[in-house]
Amino acid sequence: MMTKSTAEQVLREALRTGGDFAEIFCEDRSSGAMGLVDGRVEAANTVRRHGAGIRIYRGLNSVYVHTNDTSLAGLTAAARKAADAVEGERCVGDIHLTRQLQRNLHQIRELPMDVAGSRMAKLLRDCDLAAKAVSPEISQVRASLSHWDSEVLIANSEGLFTGDRRVYTRLFVNAVASRDGDSQSGHEAPGAMMGYELFSGRVDPGEAARSAATKAVTMLHADPCPAGVMPVVIDGGFGGVIFHEACGHSLEAAAVAFGNSEFAGKLGTQIASPIVTAVDDGTLANEWGSLNIDDEGIPTTRLVLIEDGVLRNYMVDQLNGRRMGLPSTGSGRRQDYTFAPTSRMRNTFIAPGEDDEAEIIASCPDGLYARSMGGGSVNPVTGEFNFAVEEGYLIRNGRIDAPVRGASLIGRGSEILRKIDRVGSKMWMAQGMCGAASGSIPTNVGQPMIRVTDITVGGR
Amino acid sequence: MERNEFVRRLFARAGEAGEGIASEVCYESGSSFEVSVKDGEILQYSVSDSTGLGFRVLRNGRTGTASTQILDEEAVAQLVDGALENAALVESEDEQFMFPGSPEYPKLALFSPAVEAMTAAEKIGMAKRLEQLALRQDPRIQQVEECAVFSSSDARTMTNTLGLNVSTEVNLLGGYVVVVAREGEKVNTGFKVFFTSDPAQVDLEAVAKAAAKEAIDGLDGAPVPSGRYRVLLRNDVAGNLLATFAGIFSADNAQRGLSRLKGREGERIAAECVTLMDDPHRAGSASSTPFDGEGVATRVKAVIEGGRLNTLLHNLKTARKQGVETTANAARESYASGVGVAPTNFYFAPSDTGFDDMLEQTGDGLLITDLQGMHAGANPITGDFSLAAKGFRIEGGRLTAPVNQITVAGNYYELLADIEAVGGDLDFRSPGTSCFGSPSLLVKGLSVAGA
Repeated sequence: MMTKSTAEQVLREALRTGGDFAEIFCEDRSSGAMGLVDGRVEAANTVRRHGAGIRIYRGLNSVYVHTNDTSLAGLTAAARKAADAVEGERCVGDIHLTRQLQRNLHQIRELPMDVAGSRMAKLLRDCDLAAKAVSPEISQVRASLSHWDSEVLIANSEGLFTGDRRVYTRLFVNAVASRDGDSQSGHEAPGAMMGYELFSGRVDPGEAARSAATKAVTMLHADPCPAGVMPVVIDGGFGGVIFHEACGHSLEAAAVAFGNSEFAGKLGTQIASPIVTAVDDGTLANEWGSLNIDDEGIPTTRLVLIEDGVLRNYMVDQLNGRRMGLPSTGSGRRQDYTFAPTSRMRNTFIAPGEDDEAEIIASCPDGLYARSMGGGSVNPVTGEFNFAVEEGYLIRNGRIDAPVRGASLIGRGSEILRKIDRVGSKMWMAQGMCGAASGSIPTNVGQPMIRVTDITVGGR
Repeated sequence: MERNEFVRRLFARAGEAGEGIASEVCYESGSSFEVSVKDGEILQYSVSDSTGLGFRVLRNGRTGTASTQILDEEAVAQLVDGALENAALVESEDEQFMFPGSPEYPKLALFSPAVEAMTAAEKIGMAKRLEQLALRQDPRIQQVEECAVFSSSDARTMTNTLGLNVSTEVNLLGGYVVVVAREGEKVNTGFKVFFTSDPAQVDLEAVAKAAAKEAIDGLDGAPVPSGRYRVLLRNDVAGNLLATFAGIFSADNAQRGLSRLKGREGERIAAECVTLMDDPHRAGSASSTPFDGEGVATRVKAVIEGGRLNTLLHNLKTARKQGVETTANAARESYASGVGVAPTNFYFAPSDTGFDDMLEQTGDGLLITDLQGMHAGANPITGDFSLAAKGFRIEGGRLTAPVNQITVAGNYYELLADIEAVGGDLDFRSPGTSCFGSPSLLVKGLSVAGA
């Protein structure tokens, strides 16, 4: 990987034509994946990615160049190409880098690249057996393990020279239940920023498999969800995707800086029900969305986004911070060296409230209980979101009643936030891959059980 | 290390590992350019060069893959030993193959010298013009959220120890604009993208106009009452739905019980007006290719013809399993991926019915111009979907009030059978491994959740 003196020379070259800031992000990543279908390993793959991205700012404009060639000659050529796109005279003097060591918040014990393939295959086979044991209606089980180990070095013209190592491990189980030509599926995908020790205490693969299979069987016996506007109780964990989609993306500086967010200009104002507090925290030990430093080399932070319904902070990266006159919150993230970073979420959740989960259901008018959520998407300009309910039930007479399938929830973020009338006391998180301008990155979503007074529910 | 030398070393090391090992290399190199503009200035400018090499071995009917972006001494050992270990872990009983090469390959002109000749300054100029044109469309378009022009060029070479040696090169030029329309408290966005292999055919005015029209037309959108409606799916929306459910035509999925089309070849599965083509030779598409991901020569085929299912899409493994010829739809998303199954340019064949005639045939119903949430609200196994939608009411064969904040739900298998008419306005989505296209489709009935 790149030495300090190489980085200094390349940054000098990058600023030759009038850039006022330059950065090199160098990455070497090894990853592996193994997939099992119906009890047999079907494919195994290993991938090594290696390259660097060079970024230059001139005021609020930016140039990004990436290459696989991280030799001094390769990086210099890339820096020259980037500098050629900037018009001006050199305005930054000499560059001297100082190595910075980072605090390590995330212990990694067993490097997954070193774990024997046969051991992983056994874990996947155990998932298959556990899922199939749930019901004879389970017709197919797919289980896969994926892991990656990424070493990054980040240098910039303000003197920063630092690095980080990120190791991720994730299990994915998808179970299909079938009956009379009909089928439904359920999935679980637990993961963490940690090594193979993920499976020594933190994640029980059999439990994940049983949960996926149980969802599939439950939905197989469910009727289509009725369509209409109704109260909806959304359970914790992946239910937090509602906040991620409906509000989180609109609080990213990338949307706010250009006024492309329904929450632009609303700092200090009440944007949510007063019982809602929401946090984006990159410092939680070994969590899926955590980091030591962000992809601009800035230590990650815990950020209160909404406090008792009042908007307190946006998630800010360096470039959009320049645009908004705000410091970075350590939120600059990117999929890998082929992407320029921008402001992104980390572990984003609605904080625990004071309501009792049993009371939330018991006092609910007839509506929908969304026990587990699928994914969704949002238009940050209008706040319009949609997401799928993976496992839903009707609420009738204050009780959880029959399961229903095929439900989706649509609405606008700003409206939903005001309509939350209950926040439960037990919060947990779940893992997702979030896709946006700087690629696909690991993020956690989370919340306790919440209740929304009315949402448009799509069904048949 | 120089590439040919690197490949020679890979093949030699794999050969030394034991008897009966075949090995294959898929090498990709590419360059890309993108410029985005804001208020007449360059917002972001990106260029890249990339190379990557995927290595695949076949031993005892099992394949293993490994890939790298560095061609050094260490990588030779990593690739060969990694791929062999991966092959040894495979337990599936389906026999896998490596292909020695087809007698002939179609000659396709997929590399446009005109795109290659465009300078960065010309592309920057295009992006700036597109932004200006978008802002000029209407006083309610007060902001261009994103505006960019991009180009890319990619070459792929596959060689193996059985004699395969093929290569192809594609390039394309494209761009997109996202505009924001505001009127009082109301806000709506409009998006339009374009792709071409012929820079002379780019009509920036038309792109700007389409994006602005979408944003403005939808400003007054409101939900319609819940119920069942006749639905006209606009061409782009019908193409998005096809992309979402294209997996049902994969023999790989069918053989695993993940598609209801298993064993339905020769049967009626769609309305008689429906013909679905897979055309790997379509001119000007970056998804076109003379050979598939296993090196087999590609060919044009009707997957559905007059409502009847002719064939599913196969690679060598699925074809052998079913005792048929491969349709040359082996797909490798990139050099780093294993071999799967995917269509190339996959589209519903258009009729000669104009859009106004389609509206007239619809009579009373909804025109859907946007569907969101495909990755979550659609179940590719069962065909069920429930998606957020926007569009317009159709009353007496004419477009009336804009509609938003509704969901449209149905089942894709049923939808194929319920298509009453196919329009003439065939349009394609962005090209990738596959490129999906459709004309507007009139569907008998879908469930709508609204007010």
